[in-house]
Amino acid sequence: MYFKGINSYGDRGLVLDFGNETSKSISQEVNETFLNISNLNLQSLNIIPSFNKIVVIFENSKIRDQNKDKISMKMKDTNSQTNKKVTKTWEIPACYNEDFALDIKIIQKLHQITKEEVINLHSSVRYYTYYIGFMPGFPYLGDVPSQLITPRLATPRVKIPARSIGIAKNHTCIYPKVSPGGWNIIGQIPFDIFDLQSSYPSLFLPGDEVKFYSVSLSEFEKIRKYNFSLNELIKEYSS
Amino acid sequence: MNSIIITRAGTHSTIQDFGRFQYQHLGVSPSGAMDQRIITELQKIIPNHQNQFLEFAYVGPSIKVKEGSVKICVGGNCNMSIQKNNNSQLECQPYKSINLFEGDELIIHNTIDSVYGYIAFEHGLGLEPCLNSYSTDTKAGIGSINRPLNDEDIFHISKDVSSWDLISIPKPDLEKVTNFKVYPGPQLQYFSDNTLQSFISGVFTITNQSDRMGIRLKGESLISSKSHDILSEGILPGSIQVPSDGQPIVLMRDIPCTGGYPKIAILNEVDISRISQLPPETKITFDLQTIY
Repeated sequence: MYFKGINSYGDRGLVLDFGNETSKSISQEVNETFLNISNLNLQSLNIIPSFNKIVVIFENSKIRDQNKDKISMKMKDTNSQTNKKVTKTWEIPACYNEDFALDIKIIQKLHQITKEEVINLHSSVRYYTYYIGFMPGFPYLGDVPSQLITPRLATPRVKIPARSIGIAKNHTCIYPKVSPGGWNIIGQIPFDIFDLQSSYPSLFLPGDEVKFYSVSLSEFEKIRKYNFSLNELIKEYSS
Repeated sequence: MNSIIITRAGTHSTIQDFGRFQYQHLGVSPSGAMDQRIITELQKIIPNHQNQFLEFAYVGPSIKVKEGSVKICVGGNCNMSIQKNNNSQLECQPYKSINLFEGDELIIHNTIDSVYGYIAFEHGLGLEPCLNSYSTDTKAGIGSINRPLNDEDIFHISKDVSSWDLISIPKPDLEKVTNFKVYPGPQLQYFSDNTLQSFISGVFTITNQSDRMGIRLKGESLISSKSHDILSEGILPGSIQVPSDGQPIVLMRDIPCTGGYPKIAILNEVDISRISQLPPETKITFDLQTIY
């Protein structure tokens, strides 16, 4: 248990505190708690997990105070574990072709490794989805192998192409759509991961495990043409 | 069928409602009307508004009835007039319902000593919700219309006006507030007593680098005694975050979903609406509530 306690955040928010450190096991507790609290069906407006906090937002202080006890009780009730395995394990095709790998040379140079080694290392790890943030559907994945840890770009790029795979510090990510950003871009995936037409718009959810596998440009283009819906992607690429 | 055309989009005109909730953990901002007091008032005059309000800032839009007729009401403090289809000009006022007929054009010139104004349309604007809300987040490209309104946008309102009766309410007393009582933020302890004193006793000026995402303030520098870089965590509108230059930013409705700057304080809900109406160069002060 990393859970430290519940604090107020203004007149209508609560912060569940899981300390100041970050690790996969802290995030696992955070994301399990997130599911537990979501299942309480509180009158909350938003429940936002991050590395070591969960912020819960209510319409006003009265509703906040009414719901605070329900959350406290749930946190004390250690027997009520989440029904296991609600998260998914993904195998995601990634094209590391030079047309997409805009910053792969920065990583090669920093760590004195070849392009193939970057690709092999990046696709060797089963990443944990810490949380979704920064922009709609943007997964913070980690941790990348130590030979790939690279600082953010000194000057952020104004326009990162949609579906780009990035590395910054010990995290890797996928940009759901065109965006400015400072991550080192090393490849691209062949489908969209955020769909506003769906009531469950994000392909990835906090706690999901994600592994990349390298595909050729022609394979990439083939998958791209399928124009998979989120439901088809779940069937095709997750278990 | 009734339809209207935007003959002049105005600045920052978007469709908004009371906000988009239950999606912030997927990176989706709550958005919603900057001044929620006004759309709350407009509900009294146009109860069947379908949550499709048009928000504008500074320079308002002009709207012409292309076909049929519509019933609308404007909220906020603004100059406006109606160019009738027979070329006569009509005066009109906010918080009074307006019946517009084919060829009539409503011209909202500007907001007065404030920033945001709103239009409610009876039966809405014929839009479909996006993630259970009509609000627009232009930066994320989310909304029934996922961009600011453009000249020549057309809206179809299939239902006819229910009654031509004119309805009005007294102009709501939306007093201008420049002193804000704030609650301690989650990283209050990142600031020394001296810095907190500067925050409370200092005067901050609203800069023109302010928008639906945040209001940037200029004033005495609030340097953290610990760090200006925290691990990203969930944030809510009204939070006052302080980046490393020490100049606070009040986060508004199109909030980034998580943030990595320490938050010294947070405004209450109604003060988010109040502060949104203060134009650049307005001077404001803060009072820190210790008990809450």
